[in-house]
Amino acid sequence: MDVSQYLEIFIDETNGHLQNLSDCIMTLEKEPENMDTINEIFRAAHSLKGMAGTMGFKRMQHLTHDMENVFQEVRSGKMKVTSGLVDVLFQCLDALDIYLENIKNTSDEGTDDNAAIIQELNDILAAGSGAAAPKEAEKAPVGKTEEKKAEGYEGKYLQVEFSEKEKDALQEAEQKGLHIYGITVYINEECLLKAARAFLVFKAVEELGDILVYSPSSQVIEDENFEFDFSFYLGTDVPLERVLEVSKAVSEIVEAVGAEVKYRDLEAAQNEKEQKEHENRTAAEQAAASMAVAPVPAHKEAEKPAANNKKQNNSKPVTNRTVRVDIEKLDALMNQVSELIIAKNSLVSIGATEGGSMQNQSFHEQIEYLERITTSLHESVMKVRMVPIESVVQKFPRMIRDLSKKLNKKMELYMSGEDTELDRTVVDQIGDPLQHLLRNSADHGLESAEVRKEKGKPEVGSIYLNAFQEGNNVIIEVGDDGAGINTEQVKAKAIERGIITPEQGEAMSQKEIIDFLFMPSFSMAKKITDVSGRGVGLDVVKSNIEALGGDVEVKSVMGEGSKFTVRLPLTLAIIQALMVEIRDEKYAIALGSIQTIEDISTDEIKYVQAEEVIHIRGLVIPLIRLDRILDCEPKEEESENLTVVIVKKGEKYAGLIVDALIGQQEIVIKSLGKYIDGSKLISGATILGDGEVALILDANTLL
Amino acid sequence: MDENIVKAETKQFIVVKLGGEQYGIDIRYVDNIVRLQKITRVPKIQPYFKGIINLRGEIVPVMSIRTKMGLPADEFTDASRIIILKIEEQGAIGIIIDAVKEVVTLSTNEIDKVAYDAKDEKSNFINGVGKHGEELISLFDINCIIGEKEVV
Repeated sequence: MDVSQYLEIFIDETNGHLQNLSDCIMTLEKEPENMDTINEIFRAAHSLKGMAGTMGFKRMQHLTHDMENVFQEVRSGKMKVTSGLVDVLFQCLDALDIYLENIKNTSDEGTDDNAAIIQELNDILAAGSGAAAPKEAEKAPVGKTEEKKAEGYEGKYLQVEFSEKEKDALQEAEQKGLHIYGITVYINEECLLKAARAFLVFKAVEELGDILVYSPSSQVIEDENFEFDFSFYLGTDVPLERVLEVSKAVSEIVEAVGAEVKYRDLEAAQNEKEQKEHENRTAAEQAAASMAVAPVPAHKEAEKPAANNKKQNNSKPVTNRTVRVDIEKLDALMNQVSELIIAKNSLVSIGATEGGSMQNQSFHEQIEYLERITTSLHESVMKVRMVPIESVVQKFPRMIRDLSKKLNKKMELYMSGEDTELDRTVVDQIGDPLQHLLRNSADHGLESAEVRKEKGKPEVGSIYLNAFQEGNNVIIEVGDDGAGINTEQVKAKAIERGIITPEQGEAMSQKEIIDFLFMPSFSMAKKITDVSGRGVGLDVVKSNIEALGGDVEVKSVMGEGSKFTVRLPLTLAIIQALMVEIRDEKYAIALGSIQTIEDISTDEIKYVQAEEVIHIRGLVIPLIRLDRILDCEPKEEESENLTVVIVKKGEKYAGLIVDALIGQQEIVIKSLGKYIDGSKLISGATILGDGEVALILDANTLL
Repeated sequence: MDENIVKAETKQFIVVKLGGEQYGIDIRYVDNIVRLQKITRVPKIQPYFKGIINLRGEIVPVMSIRTKMGLPADEFTDASRIIILKIEEQGAIGIIIDAVKEVVTLSTNEIDKVAYDAKDEKSNFINGVGKHGEELISLFDINCIIGEKEVV
């Protein structure tokens, strides 16, 4: 048996515990007296210690052990939580994180003992409570054990049935003059890695002698198909106490009971049992034969084990009703659903074009039915892939706390909408850009406490992160109430770097100037000369988000703060789209970005600054002639009426002039591949029902 | 000795026609040969890309090798074919050729390296000349074909 099969569970659980610890310590910093939190931390540290010990990660075990010691003191009221302690605790967490990362990558915890942190922990411990005996930490679990002992652990080893082979082994051992001990070991009922514990017990015990009989069999134990106890017979020449001691030394083992046995007695007991069973069986047979007469006793006998079984089932902990699935399998499923949708679309188009022979009504009904099924199948698959952004954002409070210390600024992070869900692949990649934006806010956005006081703002700066869903997009806003972006300085910088001339600078809107911050070259200069401070790596943020099919926008008011709005698509693979025609080419526009569709006549087009616009319902909307942008053949004669698709991105609108509308369709987004290096205007392609290829227009880039 | 030569290195090439010349494409890179079908134009991309096609549910970009090599533009006939090349990592790509002729097996000693001649544009795309009977076959350097380099 090998512990490595538990590695994944271990990593998962440790992650959970670490996150839990981090949250708790954050709370503790604010409410140092909160007993619940202290207990929670103690428990988490204790579990971590136990798990690390089981897996043989000694250094991790050592560190968590010392953490636990400190909290033992805090718990018993001998020590107070100080900010110094909190700092050290966070260092511990970081160290544990590194261990875990090492384990993830190499299945080994690494060689860093983190002696400095351990020393600090011990110093705190020594300062806080005199010379606290480290043993005390063990008190709690030991006390628990004693408590449970009173309930009585029976030596189930006596009920073990032996096979012929096992009998021979026992007999042989006895003849050799070895002591034979029957031992039953009880595992903590909250233990998750029962088989691993059992394995460790066997390993420890086998150093003392030979295990002659396993019950249940070693295979069953390995498969974790047992309740919370197991028995074995050991042939050895050491005293019984020694064996029980090593068994109990394994963590999460509640109790080990045992006694020396003689083969003779065992055999006698065995025979007796067989005898009894035989009698039972005959009784049952007799009862069956005379069922009408008196089925009662046999019935009783039969019912008992059944009832027992039931009870056992009930006593099992309710397992989590979730399944862990490899993301690749989900991707494969998604691809298949995509193929299905394409096939469905082609059936729909056959149904529509070859009307003559297919006028059959039931055919159409079935097609509609198929459409409904594929749509809901797609939705289900999408939902499976959705995970809350919580897993990403939950690290941020800690990060802001550290930044606050490091930058010596007071700040508070407010988050909302952590339960907003996004596609797994998006969530995995959104962490870095968001982290960057938050850092940016903390570092460059917020002013120092003194400056804030002068300006009449609250001393503690606030940073907020809001996530919510808007149509087919998820919006994540990262903002602060800091100084805002100094556009004049940015402009000056742009002029200095020769990106624009002073004249151009005059004519630029605030938004255009802020966009400079997203230019790659612009960020480089920031490191050398600190203008407004903004812009370090913002280009990376932008390109990361764009790679996910999203975009980022900034709004800033001098003196009041700035807000970065990240817009991400809910799904990556399949969208609802409007199909349009431009000349004889077909294009798809994501339905999510379409506001309305208007029919206008050419004389409604007005000109603002030599650009074509239309005026609809109080909005002046710039027109974009898609045929020109897409390099289509010019039309011979302009038609009187134009079809305009109004698209919206945030607050901005644009009217796209198309030749004709085809209709709404569910489309599967396919990449154009790595060879084609085109403009961002085309975000992909899709295959239509008739096998034709249509391009997907990214309306966002037109705005 | 003799055995060694036979075993030596033989490579199979698909011989295609492009203009008046014959070119060989290493068969290891060829995934498929398909008839010319509707190529969907993609605006604002490299000029030598004709567009994309639907190859059994996959989107495959199609390149005009003539445009890339600076030859006169393609004339599509019944014999025209798209050869689908599959290169690891980068995925499939189609190139348009005038006609497919045959498959030949050449051993290494039938292949002459071409001296690199910067003046001759076409030789940029060729890494050898194969002798098959009386005929000469220019062997495409696949990496140059699919690379960014273009004859202007």
